[in-house]
Amino acid sequence: MFEIDFGDSGEIVCRGRLDAAQSDKAEQFLGGLDGASVVDFEHLEYISSAGLAILLKTQKRLSESGAALKIVNVNKHIHDIFRYSGFTSIFEIEAK
Amino acid sequence: MPEKLFARSIDHIKDVYEFAENLFEANDIADDVRFPIHLALEELFVNLVSYNTAGREEILIEIDTADGGVAVTMTDFEAEDFDVSRPREVDIEASLKERKPGGLGLHLIQHMVDTLEYDHRDKRSKIRFTKESRKDDV
Repeated sequence: MFEIDFGDSGEIVCRGRLDAAQSDKAEQFLGGLDGASVVDFEHLEYISSAGLAILLKTQKRLSESGAALKIVNVNKHIHDIFRYSGFTSIFEIEAK
Repeated sequence: MPEKLFARSIDHIKDVYEFAENLFEANDIADDVRFPIHLALEELFVNLVSYNTAGREEILIEIDTADGGVAVTMTDFEAEDFDVSRPREVDIEASLKERKPGGLGLHLIQHMVDTLEYDHRDKRSKIRFTKESRKDDV
């Protein structure tokens, strides 16, 4: 199960497991962003390369207007994936 | 060794996850082993489903647990030769402008599992990967 929606403070809240079968849902939501945004991974348990591709695509699109995603509350395992992917140098990331 | 056949569809990622997770729960497998194994299962399953489009047979997954570690064997019948263990060149130092979405799956699992072996013969691809428990790391 994967859920994505806006939180009470306007941040984007992700929950569950962002796998290849759920990446369309993430792409649809993030594709609607048009400015800088904070993405809260507090309740995101898992992400695979399909989810990374959506994050990268969104970051590239936002960067054209000088905006960016900031990803916060990243668990240890997802942080490892970000590190092996080189995402730590192209996203602002805060660990849990 | 527990084994199960899975239909060739991305929609069955959830079934692959549940098959593995139930075994991990029953055998008290630690998160540091579960996470990379789940990642490898998904990335390789998606790879087989997406790129071996000529394949008609279900994909066999066998999972063995011992001493806190996990060994997985995935068998794809009627498969083209595609060596998933061959190192993938990914420039993780590239700038955001230079980066292109995609192509990270095999790169990631090659870094996150302990062993990854591939064999192709008689049109059958067999992939085996392992992750050991590192209790000393606690």
